[in-house]
Amino acid sequence: MKHSFIDKYSKLNSTVHRLDPRIKLLMTFLGIIIIVSEPPGKILPFAFYGVAVLILMLLSRIPLGFIIKRFLILSPFILMAALFFPVSLWLTNDEQIVNLQHPAFKVALSIFLKAGLSVILLILLISTDKFHNLLLGLRKLKMPKLIGVIAALMYRYVFILSDEALKTKRARESRTPGKLKVNKMKVFSNQMAMIFLRSWERSKIIYHSMLSRGFNGEFPVMQKLAMNRIDVVFFVCFLTAFLAVRFLITPLT
Amino acid sequence: MHIADGIIDARIAIAANAVAVAAIYVSGRKTTIEEIPKMGITGAALFVASLVHIPFAGTSVHPGLYGLVGIILGKRAFPVIFTVVLFQSMIFQHGGLLSVGINSINMGAGAFAAWLIWRQQALPEYLRAVFAGFIGIIIPVLLMATEFQLSGYGRGILYLFSIYILAAVVEGVVTLSVVKFFRRIKSDILT
Repeated sequence: MKHSFIDKYSKLNSTVHRLDPRIKLLMTFLGIIIIVSEPPGKILPFAFYGVAVLILMLLSRIPLGFIIKRFLILSPFILMAALFFPVSLWLTNDEQIVNLQHPAFKVALSIFLKAGLSVILLILLISTDKFHNLLLGLRKLKMPKLIGVIAALMYRYVFILSDEALKTKRARESRTPGKLKVNKMKVFSNQMAMIFLRSWERSKIIYHSMLSRGFNGEFPVMQKLAMNRIDVVFFVCFLTAFLAVRFLITPLT
Repeated sequence: MHIADGIIDARIAIAANAVAVAAIYVSGRKTTIEEIPKMGITGAALFVASLVHIPFAGTSVHPGLYGLVGIILGKRAFPVIFTVVLFQSMIFQHGGLLSVGINSINMGAGAFAAWLIWRQQALPEYLRAVFAGFIGIIIPVLLMATEFQLSGYGRGILYLFSIYILAAVVEGVVTLSVVKFFRRIKSDILT
């Protein structure tokens, strides 16, 4: 079976793809912290962040259409969360919000821009490296060991689960083809429980085979992560640009 | 239910990450190697469940399953939920990377409350299952409403989030149905 919903463009070869996964994770994490720490209601600084992110997008060679499409899928949720701000204030009756000139809408726009740029940084992160490399990067960045083990197993078990889900769905459809008319909730719950049980049994067999081959909770990897000068220069440039916007441009706006 | 980055105050999101790391150590202490596959597959199920949509009342909802995770994993639920939230954030951008801490605390608290209810052996099983599923959604929603209020959204956010009561009822029914199925087929999976 092919499962290509994870890290679709991770095999491209670009400057951003070649960066150490730890650098990419740190850049994304720190970049998001800087963006979300912008005071509410500031709009102009996001134009500068936007330019920096656009440069990253172009350097990564990921088709812009893909990033825009992915962003558009997520944007209604972000927009809704941003609009919660004026709507919630209106419902609270603390504020009389009657037109779009109200400062609450400016805050909502800044929330939308913060969340939107953070989402684009995350899309870039997952599209510019293989997922297991990012997991390795997280482990090297001292992620708790237990999380590392759960993550590594979970990543593999997702495929077991989707295989079992497909089989169960086919089996159900072969017996009751078409749209379900009765007991939708019960059929759905039983199907879900069945998929879980089958996958659990299969995952136990796999896990016991791993134990019998000496698995002790560690995932030894041959791959060595090595940071080079380009990684450091890239990281410093990215961070300096973001910090400059945050501490030099934002106070002026 | 996943809070994206930038939606709530940055200080709350950063502090929540520190709390989440502490919670991982507390809830994951003395995890045995035998517990790992159950945690892995439950995590995978939770991850996949967020992509499944059930047609409901003219729209569609996706199961949260936090109550069910609490019932299956008990106190080990938190590290699993943290990992799932991290995955969802990185792979599907559901919820932010900086918000992994706050999202996992919200959902982890739901699973923990569900586990506490599930352990009340004096109550009939069907009631415990429904209530665990229900509370597994309500607790995260209440926490989320508090976090939004602390970020300046006002009390009105509670009215907006009241829609989740409906989702919590659906979750209660799904949890009951799944628990009944497990009891019939494989009873030992329930903690």
